Amino acid sequence: MILSYLARRLFLLGFVFVALTVFVFSLNYLFPGDLVSNLTGLRDISPQTQQQLQQLLALDQSLWQQYIAYNRRLLAGDWGLSFASQQPVLSEIMQVLPATLELAAYALCLSLFAGIPLGLLAAVKKDSLLERCISGIALIGYSMPVFWLALICIMLFSLQLGWLPTSGRLGVLFEVPTQTGFIFVDILLADHISRSAAAYSALLHLAMPTVILAAYPTNVMIRFVRTSMLEVLEQNYIKTARAKGLSRSQVLYRHGLRNALLPVTRQVGLQFSTLITLAMLTEVIFSWPGIGQWLINSIYQRNYPAIQAGLLVVSSLVICVNMLTEILHTLFNPLARKH
Amino acid sequence: MQLLDIRNLTLELETPDGIVRAVDRVNLTLREGEIRGLVGESGSGKSLIAKAIMGVLHQRWRISADRFSWCGEDLLRLPYQRQREIISRDIAMIYQEPSRSMDPTAPIGEQLAESIPDHRLEGVSWWQKGFFRRKRAINLLHKVGIRDHQAVLHSYPYQLSEGVCQKISIAMAIAKDPKLLIADEPTTALESTTQAQLFRLLASFNQLKGTSILLISHELETVAKNTDTVSVLYCGQLVEAGETAELLKNPRHPYTDALIRSVPEFQPDLGFKQQLYALHGSIPTLQHLPIGCRLGPRCPNARRECVKTPQLERQQNHFYSCHFPIHRGGTNE
Repeated sequence: MILSYLARRLFLLGFVFVALTVFVFSLNYLFPGDLVSNLTGLRDISPQTQQQLQQLLALDQSLWQQYIAYNRRLLAGDWGLSFASQQPVLSEIMQVLPATLELAAYALCLSLFAGIPLGLLAAVKKDSLLERCISGIALIGYSMPVFWLALICIMLFSLQLGWLPTSGRLGVLFEVPTQTGFIFVDILLADHISRSAAAYSALLHLAMPTVILAAYPTNVMIRFVRTSMLEVLEQNYIKTARAKGLSRSQVLYRHGLRNALLPVTRQVGLQFSTLITLAMLTEVIFSWPGIGQWLINSIYQRNYPAIQAGLLVVSSLVICVNMLTEILHTLFNPLARKH
Repeated sequence: MQLLDIRNLTLELETPDGIVRAVDRVNLTLREGEIRGLVGESGSGKSLIAKAIMGVLHQRWRISADRFSWCGEDLLRLPYQRQREIISRDIAMIYQEPSRSMDPTAPIGEQLAESIPDHRLEGVSWWQKGFFRRKRAINLLHKVGIRDHQAVLHSYPYQLSEGVCQKISIAMAIAKDPKLLIADEPTTALESTTQAQLFRLLASFNQLKGTSILLISHELETVAKNTDTVSVLYCGQLVEAGETAELLKNPRHPYTDALIRSVPEFQPDLGFKQQLYALHGSIPTLQHLPIGCRLGPRCPNARRECVKTPQLERQQNHFYSCHFPIHRGGTNE
């Protein structure tokens, strides 16, 4: 039964990817400029090369054939060149994507580790001062725009107090060659530097963007977990468990927690797209060399091949994470396997 | 011995339109080994009384009673912790919708095992506790008539039928050998054959272990068949209480009378296509309860005095609260 469910999900995933590639492929026609240069990223193409490229891109054939050829190139890793740098787009993405993944993952972890306990606390201590404080802070955090918060924090912690750096991933003193793109792994792999000092510097650089990026999802999580737990606590089976003679903490731990947290797995997937959007804003503000900043720069430069590729990568990421949390939710939740 | 003795239990709820008194000065007593029925229409406060006894009423409700004693201890005057201790040790409850009273995401075995109290496993070393719990859980399933314990223990509530779920909730209830078992409309969700099984099961526990049972139902027939004594509620007021046979034969309150006459099985000389007796009107909503005797506006015998709540009158073991009780056949007075 699980296998058939997985098969269904993967089938759906395939469809979504087809739709996504159709959309991205159609952008080549919709973007202004020459079709051949949109597809390849080459500029100032001579008539001879134009001829060859048209053959290569299957432009002399039907749209259908062109789409298939496009997909074939995508799979082969030939994603075209960037207008701005004339470098392969894919390798550029591979350089900037880890930075974003790192930032988003830490922020997501932070929002889970802070949001879930606070939400549970708010639900369990209902109508107390603590609950009001948590809900109040959550509401403020929820309604605060991330760019404003980021600028205020930079003003306070970087410019006034001087505790944290304003931008970048690492202090300029450290020469860390990019190998994996994940800063801590790179520091570990790098030679001839003081690793602990570099890691400390990386941590300082990471602190503010992570916290600011985590602010919104944390508050969503607090509110979601709180409502979910309150709803569960109203259920009959909680009363039954109380009547069985279990203590309050036993009831919460055995019956409350699991039922309240199961919907959270799904919520993580839903929050991920918001998180990526916010990560783009955060990256721009903190000059974080991630895919968000790269994509926004590409948009300013009208770098069409890069926009396409960025779109494809970010969307695939969001879709995959969504699908993954959906599948995890089904695996963990016996109720979701009902049908 | 008097197990449960409740005097003037009142349950009130504060609403924007003022205080609603859903249960109004109800008396309820239960002896050891007694099966008492609690009959009333939906909304008459039966389930509320049961929840009040279990101590699982929502916090919004205000409970007050002149006496709320369990085995001689007044529960309402005990500290909360002690109250919970006594209730969870001695009283168990079966709910109307068994599948909703079980954790949907936990397998049955786990839920059944946790309802076995720790003192039942005394003297068992800790590494064997799990094993003994499991053994006892299987034993409990056999007791309530589930043979296929292997499959049931690993199932989730949604995978089982309501009948099986109800049996399991009985198994959970009897896991701690309660002195009192409250069955809140245990058969509403079940088929009639399963219903019969269930009542047999309850009766056997009553006879073998001396468990007292409070059977809550809106069906007079089932209560008549399965109980020793019965209390009749109308809109949160106790209208009549007494031994089941006597009460059915000689109802003193017009409401009880109407209730009995509305059941075809109790009317052997009912003609073909003859209309059943029923009171006029319908039960009032909680926001619009009449003062005094709440049956007042619907009562065929109502007079001016009925705007005052009648006192509970006693005639041997027969209690009724009516200013103008019915005298049938002139046997009494």
